[in-house]
Amino acid sequence: MLQDFLAYTVLGICLGSIYAIAATGLVVTYSTSGVFNVAHGSVATMSALIYWQLRFDWDVQPLVALVLTVCVFAPLIGLVLEVVVIRGLRGTSEVTRLVTPIAVLLGVNGAATWIWFRNDQRSIVPKRFFGLSNVKILGQAVYYHQLIGVALAVVIAAALYVLLFKTRAGVTMRATVDDRTLLMLNGGRPDRASLVSWAIGAGLAGLAGVLLSPVQGALQVFALTLLIFDAYPAAIAGRLRSVPLTYVGAMVLGLSKLYFDWLSEAGTRWLALKNLRIALPAVLLFVALLILPQDRLRGAIVSRTRERFHVPTMRQAVAWGGVLVVVVYMLQKLMSGSAVISLSNGMALSLLAVSLVLLTGYAGEINLAIFTFAGIALIAAWQFDVGPGGLATQKSMSVGAILLAICVCAIVGGLIALPALRLRGLYLGLATFAFGIIVYQLVILQTQPLRGSIFGWDFTVNFFSTGSLTMPRPHWFGIDFTDQRNFLMLMTVMFALIGIGLIAVRRSAYGRMIVAMKDSPAACATLGMNVTRVKLGVFMLSSGISGLGGLMWASQQKTLANNNGFDGFQSLTLFMIAVVGGIGYVSGALLAGIFLSVLNVVMPAVWTKLGHDYPALHWLFVSVMKNFTMFVGPALIGIGLGKNPSGIAQQIMDGFRPLRKTPLAVGIWVAGLLTAWLFAWQELIGHWTFAVIVLLSVVLVPMVIKAIHPDRFADDERAIHGEGLDQIGLARPFRRSDRALFDDALGIVAPEHELEVGRAR
Amino acid sequence: MLVDCRGMTMKFGGAAALTQVDVVAAEGAITGLIGPNGAGKTTLFNCITGLLQPSAGVVLFDGEDVTGMAPFARTRRGVARTFQRLELFTSLTVRENIQVAGEIRNRWGRRDRRDARVECDRVLELLGIAHLAERDVTEIPTGMARRVEMGRALMTRPKILLLDEPASGQDEQETDEFGELLMHLCHEGTAILLVEHDVSLVMKVCSYIQVLDFGRIIAAGTPTQIQTDRAVLQAYLGEDSTTGGAS
Repeated sequence: MLQDFLAYTVLGICLGSIYAIAATGLVVTYSTSGVFNVAHGSVATMSALIYWQLRFDWDVQPLVALVLTVCVFAPLIGLVLEVVVIRGLRGTSEVTRLVTPIAVLLGVNGAATWIWFRNDQRSIVPKRFFGLSNVKILGQAVYYHQLIGVALAVVIAAALYVLLFKTRAGVTMRATVDDRTLLMLNGGRPDRASLVSWAIGAGLAGLAGVLLSPVQGALQVFALTLLIFDAYPAAIAGRLRSVPLTYVGAMVLGLSKLYFDWLSEAGTRWLALKNLRIALPAVLLFVALLILPQDRLRGAIVSRTRERFHVPTMRQAVAWGGVLVVVVYMLQKLMSGSAVISLSNGMALSLLAVSLVLLTGYAGEINLAIFTFAGIALIAAWQFDVGPGGLATQKSMSVGAILLAICVCAIVGGLIALPALRLRGLYLGLATFAFGIIVYQLVILQTQPLRGSIFGWDFTVNFFSTGSLTMPRPHWFGIDFTDQRNFLMLMTVMFALIGIGLIAVRRSAYGRMIVAMKDSPAACATLGMNVTRVKLGVFMLSSGISGLGGLMWASQQKTLANNNGFDGFQSLTLFMIAVVGGIGYVSGALLAGIFLSVLNVVMPAVWTKLGHDYPALHWLFVSVMKNFTMFVGPALIGIGLGKNPSGIAQQIMDGFRPLRKTPLAVGIWVAGLLTAWLFAWQELIGHWTFAVIVLLSVVLVPMVIKAIHPDRFADDERAIHGEGLDQIGLARPFRRSDRALFDDALGIVAPEHELEVGRAR
Repeated sequence: MLVDCRGMTMKFGGAAALTQVDVVAAEGAITGLIGPNGAGKTTLFNCITGLLQPSAGVVLFDGEDVTGMAPFARTRRGVARTFQRLELFTSLTVRENIQVAGEIRNRWGRRDRRDARVECDRVLELLGIAHLAERDVTEIPTGMARRVEMGRALMTRPKILLLDEPASGQDEQETDEFGELLMHLCHEGTAILLVEHDVSLVMKVCSYIQVLDFGRIIAAGTPTQIQTDRAVLQAYLGEDSTTGGAS
């Protein structure tokens, strides 16, 4: 007994040391740049693969390979991230600063998959340093590899302490995050300090990756990234600032994981909890977040973020809702069966994403477990409509099931939000992410049914007991929605109604209140608002909507397997794309869903077809473009967010806004499109031709109209976001033409020669 | 006394921002609170409104101990404030900023509801910012933005209004008008606790002034008494470099 205890303690300390290395990397980047590097795990994974490549594929000496990986390649990744991505995040909201690293994570992992795993079944098995050589400590065989981990953890702790607290560079690094401007005024160089800290953070991630990768057996990109996620609670225990506390957290983490192994006899003892071993770090992350000291009410942290969202009028909302339904109806008339499925998938994802418009776009809260709510909705509705032994194909989805799904999701949302709501932005995001992992491991992957009894009523709840659930499609008003086209229209109408409803909410007193809460919780509290209660309400409402959307999404998939997107990464992706689409707009959610579907399904299909049609360019279309779209595309889109934090929907609307002044031209354009559609419907022109006409006209018509009537758009430059001159350069980049606006406002006549120079350039 | 702070002490780590501070504000009066930068005025406001929990001391409001209460509960008893570092709702227009305060008020004060739009129009007129109503709140000058914050606070129909440097960002004429506005509000029955750097404004409108320096009250009295107080002169002008002006 005691022997076992000691043995597991030794192993726990070994594991804790690696966690400590990973977690201090996070602490270093956060405490010096203010950005929580969600991509930390992916840098570790990439480094582990680089080490494997050098050491085992190219037979480089182990020490050389390690030094190259940890001191050259990993820091290089960190430097590139800092320069290309992180610098663009200044002056953006917390949501943007969370989303962009998510994009980086997906991008780096995508790149790793592309480089090492594009031929599916490749097996990469990293080995330990010194193989199986070991030494007995307290009766337990400990690999040299593990001892190296412990030794490095100690050395790194000491080195970091000296760097951060005893050197000038360290003081500069810490000063960077406190007050960048003040540091610059005092002659410091925050950019350089930030670079150094990102290089160190990435190096530590790399080391942790190399040390942790042999644990897995065959290396899997996303699984290894999740293993590094396991170290996050340690960083949170250190409140993302304290290295010693982070070490304590890491040791608690490593020990609790090993003690759980010991007590549960490696997961064979309590079957219903066998996945708790994997979920344990997420549980600890949740707990660590909850016992953080209460964050006091704050005002706006960034007093003027670059994000601005317009609010449509109710009339516009209803009109655009109608347009959406009509356009989708017309489009599906021209589409093949497989294209309709792709569009339906997109619409289902949009229905799921639209709940984020309320939660994140309006209220500024974060939910990184959106697909978890879809899973919960599915489980609840399935119990109601199908139940154990039922046959889904014979039934229709009932209104009762939908209501149950919405209620269960709202209640679960409330239960998770209640303790987590005192957390702010990033921490709330992490808490929801941890919640997602816990539910995935303990509920969705659960094979044991839950049996119980309430007031003598015996019940059985089946989770994904057979590995998948089949949710019946509705059969309402005599319409059979198993027909894909009908179901697409149902989802479109639902989306339009929810969208109109959300805009009505935004325009109501309640909507103004939640937006006010996002802008300044402190001011709201001093106006008598019970901020916690309002937050809770929004979270529940949004969870309910995501339950409805999730149920439709599950029904769209017909049969949903328990490994279909519940592991957390899909939630991250959807959240990221929704923010990129424009989280403050219902249209942003629509774009996000369609976009994700296009990126995941349509684009790869298009590249494959092109590769098939032009064999000579197969390498370009399939090996380069298709892989690029699949693996790196979403990430690049997310990384671009720093440049335009208000999202794509806003950009599109800005592009088309001037057209409102030329109703006749717009009328002619729409009539032309309708004619083209009629021709396509009657098969007088091909569907591809129609698509090309639509796309070209969308790009060209605004340009043409602007060229014909330049006089009508003269003052639009000034009023493009409805902001004053002081917003130029913040809300949108400074353009050469803006100079004239400033000159005009200040009553300055620009010297003639300068105008000439300007023109010559 | 409407607001009565006794023995307020606030420590941040090792540094004490307030030490044993007693501050009062009477009903139906404008009370001034002045002091150099960093004296602890905003910290005191945060303690009174509940955004900070004092390390020691009590806050009495209308005789009731509100020290442990949440900020919203204090507002519901009649305390409203503005912020030195503007805390406007930047996604909303000027009108919406003020109107939403009335809407929040209507939610908690169900027995005493008023049409938030009508109230908002009245406040916009009162503060002289009706012409800015439809503007984006980020576009307007700081002086006007401070009035928006004040309008927002007035929408809660407070018994006392805590104003944190409301006149900064306003020119001389605007400040004069502003002084009259304060007296008008006071006349209507809203007590005011005024933190302000414009000493001439404070001297003009306040009936009682308390002076804070390095987290301690160094003087209290009528404007005339304060103007001749030695400790105050030292703190402001650094007459004696061995005490007030040293740091």
